[in-house]
Amino acid sequence: MNKILAIGRRILSVLVTLWGVSVIIFVVLRLLPGNAVTAAMGVSEGLLTHAQVAALNRYYGVGQPAVQQYLSWLHATITGNLGISLSSRMAVSTLVGTALPVTLELAFFAMLLGLLIGVGFGMFSALHPGRWQDDLGQTVSVVGLAVPSFILGTVLVVFMSTKFHYFPSSLGFIGFFTDPWLNFQQIIFPALVLSLGIGAAILRTTRAAVLEVSGLNFARTALGKGVSRKAFIWRHLFLNALTAVVTMSGIQLGYLLGGTVIIEQIFILPGMGRLLITAINNRDFPVVQSVTLIFAAGFVIVNMLVDVAYSLIDPRTRKR
Amino acid sequence: MKRIVGVRGVASAILALSTAATFSASVISSGGASASQKPRAASSSFVIGTVNSVQKIDPDVVTNFLDFEALGLIYQTLVQENANLNIVPDLATSWNFSNGNKTLTMQLRQGVKFHDGSTMTSADVVASLTRAQASATADPSASYLGSVTNIAASGPNTVVLTMSHPDISVLEGLATVNMAIMPAAAISAGTIATTPDGTGPFKYSSWVPNTSFTMSANPNYWGGKVSLSSVELETIPTEQSISAALQAGTIQMGLLSQPTVVSTIPKSYKVQKAMTLSYRALQMQDRKGILSNVNARRAIACATDRKQILQDSVFGQGKVVGPVPMGPYASQPVSSICPTQNLKQAKKYLIASGHPKGFTFTAITSTDLDSTSAYQAIAMQSQLAKVGIKMNIQNLAANAYIQDWLKGTFQAAFAENGANPNPYVMYGRYFGKGATLSVPAGYTSASLQKELLAGDEVSTPAGQVKAWKKLSADLTGNAVWIWLFTSYDFAALSPSVHGFTLSPVNTTQLSSLATTSVS
Repeated sequence: MNKILAIGRRILSVLVTLWGVSVIIFVVLRLLPGNAVTAAMGVSEGLLTHAQVAALNRYYGVGQPAVQQYLSWLHATITGNLGISLSSRMAVSTLVGTALPVTLELAFFAMLLGLLIGVGFGMFSALHPGRWQDDLGQTVSVVGLAVPSFILGTVLVVFMSTKFHYFPSSLGFIGFFTDPWLNFQQIIFPALVLSLGIGAAILRTTRAAVLEVSGLNFARTALGKGVSRKAFIWRHLFLNALTAVVTMSGIQLGYLLGGTVIIEQIFILPGMGRLLITAINNRDFPVVQSVTLIFAAGFVIVNMLVDVAYSLIDPRTRKR
Repeated sequence: MKRIVGVRGVASAILALSTAATFSASVISSGGASASQKPRAASSSFVIGTVNSVQKIDPDVVTNFLDFEALGLIYQTLVQENANLNIVPDLATSWNFSNGNKTLTMQLRQGVKFHDGSTMTSADVVASLTRAQASATADPSASYLGSVTNIAASGPNTVVLTMSHPDISVLEGLATVNMAIMPAAAISAGTIATTPDGTGPFKYSSWVPNTSFTMSANPNYWGGKVSLSSVELETIPTEQSISAALQAGTIQMGLLSQPTVVSTIPKSYKVQKAMTLSYRALQMQDRKGILSNVNARRAIACATDRKQILQDSVFGQGKVVGPVPMGPYASQPVSSICPTQNLKQAKKYLIASGHPKGFTFTAITSTDLDSTSAYQAIAMQSQLAKVGIKMNIQNLAANAYIQDWLKGTFQAAFAENGANPNPYVMYGRYFGKGATLSVPAGYTSASLQKELLAGDEVSTPAGQVKAWKKLSADLTGNAVWIWLFTSYDFAALSPSVHGFTLSPVNTTQLSSLATTSVS
């Protein structure tokens, strides 16, 4: 019964969080100067007669009471279609349905590579403190954190295209099931660029956590008992440091969902980031609201998964 | 035991990831030939990379540059502008003004078919122009038909436009894609906004918003065989990425505007440039404050070094211009008081203005709308400072700038405005009688209104040249605005592309795709 109540409370808090996000985004968007008509017409709006402006306002739904706009969008969202895009007149669910898989795939590969870099180099550093291996790990983390992804992405694109005449993303995005090999080539490079920043953060966390665990009494005891080095590293050090690594990975993954925007621009990926930027420029409120809500939902879901992961990693948390 | 399994799982994942990383590295080292040679869905598709994306597909409501380009290949108009910006036939083969230039009779081209297979008649033209003129359509070019009181068919291939007053500039208005000719049946059925159907060299195929717009060759094109089987406008968000895609061989043409990116393209690629049919100017609100003082404005005009601004903002890739930037009535000289920077004269004007030590004003820019505007402003700021004029710069987001511009709530604004070879079309909307953009224009003058009307009513070429020269002199002599320069647009082409010429008409720069081929 307590478990059911706890789950219920958690679901309720998620819904309240998402509702709060939707209200904030709705209000913030209305504070921005201009509307969909201004965005669509630019200075040409000044050439229109009052009757023409009125016709456009009706077309874009400008001038409706804010509460009515919000409730209309909320109703559409709850029923699953997310409303209609003001600029393209397509269902927002259709636009999101095309863009979301691209961003999810990019985030998935970036996270995998980030984990590989972060955990790999983090362990490597922590097991050789103060030696060249540690210095190498520290250098990788500093470079990963210091070099902005947009610079790295641009350099990579220019280098590949000028030296190898190779820029697979510019062929137009190909879905995984259409051509898995081409799809992989289109995704792996932006994922690699994104993964460096993620990997650097995980690397530092892994190193610090492993070093901390290795100084604790149980670790010394394990060594004293004569466990093998392999078992000591993976069973005693790594698994006990894993909680901190999972926490950092969860945070990074949450940010990653919204952080693909610039990389999608550079690598020409038609993902959620590009959809969002275009929608903001066009004052296409239904699209902006829906995309932001999906990003927020992604963050909340990742947090929940991190909590679940805690209980799998550390049995003590299951009893709390 | 469970923990050991967990450890193995982690190890397996790391191993898999190592393989993936190695795999990706091998892709780089192999040069990725397989990807660059991989055909698109349509192997013979001619792909054009552009930072813009098609926003709308109803020709009567488009305002976006790329919308004009895309729909300009699908739809046609009664007349068009040629490379010299003269009006030449398109769907109308001939025309004549009568009744004191108040009646325009146009003969239509015969045997023209829409993409749906139906034959174009005068009924389609009447329906199209009537739709463009209707308030409910909200056509931004409807004001071009402001003088037109009646549109009627006179036989299957003749259309007659009746105007309330002599208005020969109506022809320029009919050349814009906003006046596209479409089937009357499609207008009645309400399918124009979803399914483009014109008479142009290419037919609409598909549209993925923010991603691509694809057209296929029109086999029934009246202008002859179209070589390219299909054309795709692919949205590539940065110009650097367009350059990369061109060099990777995945696109055949890149539309560029940044000279810095153009300079990175290897010499083996062909780069064409064409003057954009727009101009950059410092617009001023001349009705209030310090800028209502004509000598203060003249001081700004004389202290400005346009050539240096052109150099600083677009690396010299353009031309210093006056109010009429190009075409048969191009302003020459570019300014009647100070064609080049003249600081001595600027100081004289300052004394005449009653502010010998200078004055302060604020200019707005929007790098969202024109990425060069901040460079223009900074260059001009330092030039004006030489005579004691302090110009504050306020950079605004696109929509904030547009709102301030439309309401005239600015002292000065760096603007990129659309141009037209016909000065009446260009400035009637700002300075003419009942001008729709009188508020952002910031200046009203009875003499300007007279000059505009006189120029529009003169029908002899010599008379028009004289009339428009007077207008240019009046605009610059009173330093109504400070006209600066017009820049180039660039098209970078793969070496295999033949027969393409970037047109200087900025709403149909791609019109020569109808005769382009790829070897």
